[in-house]
Amino acid sequence: MDYIVETRELTKEFDGLKAVDKLNLKIKKGEVFGFLGPNGAGKTTSISMIVGLLLPSSGQILIDGAEIQKIKKGTIGVCPQDLVLWDHLTCMESLKLMGDMYEVPSNILKERANYLLKELFLLEKANTLTINLSGGMKRRLNLALALIHSPEIIVLDEPSEGLDPQSRRVLWNFIKSLRDEEGKTVILTTHLMDEADRLSDRIAIIDHGKLLRLDTPENLKKEIGDGDVVEILLNDPTENDNAINVLKNMEEIESVIKINSLLDIRALDAVSKLPIIMKTLETHGFSVNDLSVRQNTLEDVFIELTGTRLRE
Amino acid sequence: MIKILSIAIKDSKELLRDKKGLFMILGFPLFFMLIFGFAFGGMGQENEIHNIALVNYDEGAIFPLNNEKINFGNNLTQVLNDVKYEDSEKHIFNIIETNEDEANDLIKQRDVDALLIIPENFSQAMVNLINFNINSNGVMPINSNSVSSSNVTAELIIRGDSSFTDFGVSQAILVGIIGNYQDEIVNNIKNSVSGNSNNQTQYITTEVESVPGTESFTMFDFLAPGMMVFAILLLATTVAAVLTREVESGTLTRLKLSRMRSFDLLFGGLIPWSLIAAAQILILLIVAIMVGFHWQGGLNSILLAMFVGLIGGVASVSLGMIIAAFAKNDRQATNMGTLITVPVSFLSGAFFQLPQVVIGNFMGNPFQIYDILPWTHTLYALRTVLTFGGSWNDISYQVGWMLILTSILFAISVFLFAKIRLRAEN
Repeated sequence: MDYIVETRELTKEFDGLKAVDKLNLKIKKGEVFGFLGPNGAGKTTSISMIVGLLLPSSGQILIDGAEIQKIKKGTIGVCPQDLVLWDHLTCMESLKLMGDMYEVPSNILKERANYLLKELFLLEKANTLTINLSGGMKRRLNLALALIHSPEIIVLDEPSEGLDPQSRRVLWNFIKSLRDEEGKTVILTTHLMDEADRLSDRIAIIDHGKLLRLDTPENLKKEIGDGDVVEILLNDPTENDNAINVLKNMEEIESVIKINSLLDIRALDAVSKLPIIMKTLETHGFSVNDLSVRQNTLEDVFIELTGTRLRE
Repeated sequence: MIKILSIAIKDSKELLRDKKGLFMILGFPLFFMLIFGFAFGGMGQENEIHNIALVNYDEGAIFPLNNEKINFGNNLTQVLNDVKYEDSEKHIFNIIETNEDEANDLIKQRDVDALLIIPENFSQAMVNLINFNINSNGVMPINSNSVSSSNVTAELIIRGDSSFTDFGVSQAILVGIIGNYQDEIVNNIKNSVSGNSNNQTQYITTEVESVPGTESFTMFDFLAPGMMVFAILLLATTVAAVLTREVESGTLTRLKLSRMRSFDLLFGGLIPWSLIAAAQILILLIVAIMVGFHWQGGLNSILLAMFVGLIGGVASVSLGMIIAAFAKNDRQATNMGTLITVPVSFLSGAFFQLPQVVIGNFMGNPFQIYDILPWTHTLYALRTVLTFGGSWNDISYQVGWMLILTSILFAISVFLFAKIRLRAEN
């Protein structure tokens, strides 16, 4: 198998606190690799080490088989989580600047800049100062600046943060085209399940600096079993623990946990089992305030693995 | 090269498009110049007596109108001894006649404010001037420091320590009096030739009881170049804040991931910022003249001053880059910048003259402890060309030092920035 990025026992400590703990990853060439985890899970720290901005406390990072310190600059393009732009330069000037910094020949640079502006719907704003762009446009320019030199590996750190649905759609299509049309390897960190599910070929779930699972979205969802999730809000959420004690003895239910003030019940063909669940709760004196049924998602995988929702 | 140029263009555009920032950069020193102009524009006019060492090498000459031997050097010495403040009985100078070696020592000790050397052909040059005027019946324009004719030029030398305020005052008065002395003689020759005056010795024994223009040099003339150096030094704070903002906003991280080197970033940044320094010199000079600075020298002195300002600017930008290598945010950069640039301004002599602390001798010039700062030389060079009307030859030694010290400072900034800012963080 052709792996373009490999981390071996990658560890980073800050004042004795392990932000990343013995992370072992192998990222295939030409795949979109999702890095999924809640805020503070260690995603950005891991990414910072992988792109060479942060020195690991221990462990090793190999890019196409070579030590990260020895690779040619420009192999990796990074789109940071925050907007990193020059307010008083136009879109075209910003792209020209970064192209020059990566030593892109001027004829290729002009072509590439126009291509990126067109693909990211910024062509009309080519000569607009960055400070005058909308939030969505700024984020798209943020991405374009990471791609001006056509890097082999593209790291996108929370690229959809703060984007409206339309801009998000543009971005997702563009990320897919990077893989499908240009054959690039994309490493994507996100806390958005939908984004990770739709875009990633494989997903690494990380929490507290540790790798919890690494697989395709389909396999991850299968891992916790097929089925649906029933979310129940009791009139008196302080009774949640008592209700869990009752429900977990039911054969019809795969699992039941408390997420915030909700009861999260996973069951196969949940709709057909709703009457018996409701009857059991009423029999034991629990009053239901609200109820919803939905399909199993990556978030449920995450909940199963960590016991918390991603946003927590 | 493309990277350096690209960074220079980027920085220039950012500078020019940020109107408020640019206004602050150029406006803040102007404010200081105006304040100092109004505060010190009238100072230095007190009727103080100025100690002048005088070395008279004049060998005398035959006066054309009566064929008697005459010594204009002695005559000028007498005039300088007699000259008094306008509307006052107080003498302007205390003339100490001595030899050149002793005079140089007196200057170094600051026992005298200036040394006036009258050359051996001074009288001959004056006679030639008289002959020229008799023949042409006209008046030849005379440089204030020299007396010249078609074949003899005598140059009076006024020597002193240009970092010494009293030298500035004394030389300005001397130049005024000598110019006046020459004018008096030429006028008398004209009168003699046209028959308006029969007293041929009158112009030789000119008694100048009061000299208009003795107030021409003020404390502000001494301070104005200091203000320019202060403005240039303030650039260090601005550059430090701008660079640290680049760190804070993350744009430096973006650049760090590219193939840009520390040298590309900093050298590219030097270009627009040092041009700002040169522009500051010009703007500050215009404002200084408007509020009473007695600028000497022509267009050449402005160009020389701008060149000096440009090198001083490079030194300040380098200092700013060193600060930016350490500052965590732009507020800290500003604070650090102020903490460093204000004392450095004082140490370079921008606000007042410092006691002499000679630590060595280099190429016949005393090397003071303050001379390790490039801005001390910037100040000296600016004063020489703007206040004293000096030429390139007068400042080449200082410019040489500026170039050496600035190069060292820039090399340090490139090294520190690369080591601290452009490496992977720990």
